[in-house]
Amino acid sequence: MARVKSRVLGFLRILGIAGRTGRVTRKYPYEPPLVTSDFRGKIEFDSEKCIGCGACVLVCPSNALEIMERGGRVVLRYFIGRCIFCWRCVDVCPVEAIRGTTGFELATDNPNDLYEEVVHDTVGCSECGRGFMTVKQKDYVLGKSSVVENYIDLDPGCRRRKFLEAIERRFGGGE
Amino acid sequence: MRFLKKSIWVFHLNSGSCNGCDIEVVDVLTPYFDAERFGVKLVASPRHADALLFTGPVTLESLPKVVNAVKAVPRPRIVVALGSCAVGGGIWHDTYSTIGGVKELLKILDKQGVVVDAVYYVPGCPVRPESIIHAIALIKGLVKKRVGREAS
Repeated sequence: MARVKSRVLGFLRILGIAGRTGRVTRKYPYEPPLVTSDFRGKIEFDSEKCIGCGACVLVCPSNALEIMERGGRVVLRYFIGRCIFCWRCVDVCPVEAIRGTTGFELATDNPNDLYEEVVHDTVGCSECGRGFMTVKQKDYVLGKSSVVENYIDLDPGCRRRKFLEAIERRFGGGE
Repeated sequence: MRFLKKSIWVFHLNSGSCNGCDIEVVDVLTPYFDAERFGVKLVASPRHADALLFTGPVTLESLPKVVNAVKAVPRPRIVVALGSCAVGGGIWHDTYSTIGGVKELLKILDKQGVVVDAVYYVPGCPVRPESIIHAIALIKGLVKKRVGREAS
């Protein structure tokens, strides 16, 4: 009997504590989430600004950002499902085309929703015709330095060959 | 799917996760976020579960156990891949000791004739508790998708 009494008393005490504390549960899907402005979420691309230089691809620790060639165009692909939201790409982007957001509600039932792509046109090499850099990247480099104008249209292979040919002309040799 | 409108009982399956996502799973069940509002209950055996809360990039060591656990879940079974590791392999996507997330696991399950009725992907490193609640609400049809072409 004494045990039942102490149990009832204990329950009443808990009711008192619960009443004083009030409701702590978040109503989350029906109210704004608890994210601050510091929270690092999904990144967003500004496809107008992006020049396709691939700096973000080099720093991405999890290879969530990949750059590839498809049908003569350069494609920058972002796979959210691999991203660890470190925002190193945001720091490294030379044209501030990548913006960090606080978006975290990324649940989906279709894995194709998790891919985002930025497609770039390429410039062909003036010698061999192979596309080797994006149009916007060329404009960006020319805007930074005018010295490169005389060899910007050559892809690295042709550039090397031309340089070697120039040396050969100057010093002879090369049987 | 109609069966998902009822209470989803979940089994938490760790396949070599770093414990970040696992802590968040526990977090979701605290009174603060309280996933039991949606009828979500953590059960001790996959035989009692409707869904697997799947974390980790599936290490080679854990693969046979994972396959056994998925087989043990009664049909219709769903897998909820939590965290970047489970969704796409995360930073371990090309290491020698993992198979790289649920996508590769589904291929292996397919070869063995194990059917998974629905797969939900929840990226995040680690997933926020709210992300998990969002996923649960998405499964129950309470909220709309925020990613992909169908969104907004």
